[in-house]
Amino acid sequence: MWLPILFLIVGISLGFISDIRVPEEYANYLSIAVLAAFDTLLGGIRAHLEKKFDQAVFVSGFFFNVILAAFLAFLGVQLGVDLYLAAVFAFGVRLFQNIAIIRRYIVDRRSNKKEIEKNERK
Amino acid sequence: MIEMNIRSKIIFSFVFALVGFMIAIQFQTTQEPKVRDTRDLWEVRTELQKQQKTQQELLAKERELNKMIAQYEGQSNFEKVETLNKSLNNLKLKAGLTEVKGAGLMLTVEPIFQDLEYAETYPTVSPSLLHQLINELNTYGAKDISIGQERITNLSPIRDVNGTTYVNNHPVPPLPIKIKVLAEDPEKLLNYMEVSDSLEMFVIENLSVSMEIRKKLTLPEYEQTPDLQYLETEDATETGET
Repeated sequence: MWLPILFLIVGISLGFISDIRVPEEYANYLSIAVLAAFDTLLGGIRAHLEKKFDQAVFVSGFFFNVILAAFLAFLGVQLGVDLYLAAVFAFGVRLFQNIAIIRRYIVDRRSNKKEIEKNERK
Repeated sequence: MIEMNIRSKIIFSFVFALVGFMIAIQFQTTQEPKVRDTRDLWEVRTELQKQQKTQQELLAKERELNKMIAQYEGQSNFEKVETLNKSLNNLKLKAGLTEVKGAGLMLTVEPIFQDLEYAETYPTVSPSLLHQLINELNTYGAKDISIGQERITNLSPIRDVNGTTYVNNHPVPPLPIKIKVLAEDPEKLLNYMEVSDSLEMFVIENLSVSMEIRKKLTLPEYEQTPDLQYLETEDATETGET
């Protein structure tokens, strides 16, 4: 459980230390990609809690979503349609859904534990 | 927590690190570098002096206007009309509706016939040349300008009509043209104009400009009624009014 969080911190600090800046024009693509990555990550956690986690699906989904989102934003710029909004909307909705489901799982598990403890006392 | 096998854990951690990295970069990209005040003491002082000067000018203007208000308020009807006339004349002078006299610069635009091979036609002054010249004159402290017999006001059009240059909707006379410029300091204006770019542009079009300082110059008034159809009164209260 602690390993991913440790790695998250390592990743963030690595990003800050390296002092890489994306050119202004590409900042949009990166923001969409970050959103997609978030979405996939939460999806992975949710799948794990549902015991449906599959490494191949997770890894492929992560890279595919990130690239697709950036490509969608790129296409939108080329066509003059704000297609990145579609990505923002889709990922935003799924982000909330995934977080809600994860929350429910955790709450459920807690109440389960309490019930078990109660039963044990009796 | 449900236990993961070690491989999923590693993959998860890797993706987490990647996401963290992306977030950090995105954060750095969107966070614009703060604009610091890098002026040194001297620059700040100069800026302060400039602002103080502006303030003084504004105060002087305010005093003048207040005086005018006092004049309006504390006078009989006859005097009121007089004050009104005075400010009207003042405004007319500013708008270029009156003849003005003073010291200034006399510019004479003449054709050059150096390379006769190319100069087949008699050279003319194009509107863009005149625009540039007027802009430069104004930059270097000209107060009033007239081209030939046409006074240049803020509303004066200078344009090309069927190949002829028109100023104030009248064609400019054939060369040589005399351009009269009034200035507070004609000598300074002359010095500036002698090294200005627009004279070179005149030379490219086979025109030469000679300049001399005149103690007495008379500029004609703007003869037409100023067309103010695009001006509108503003109803909004100005800042500072209560």
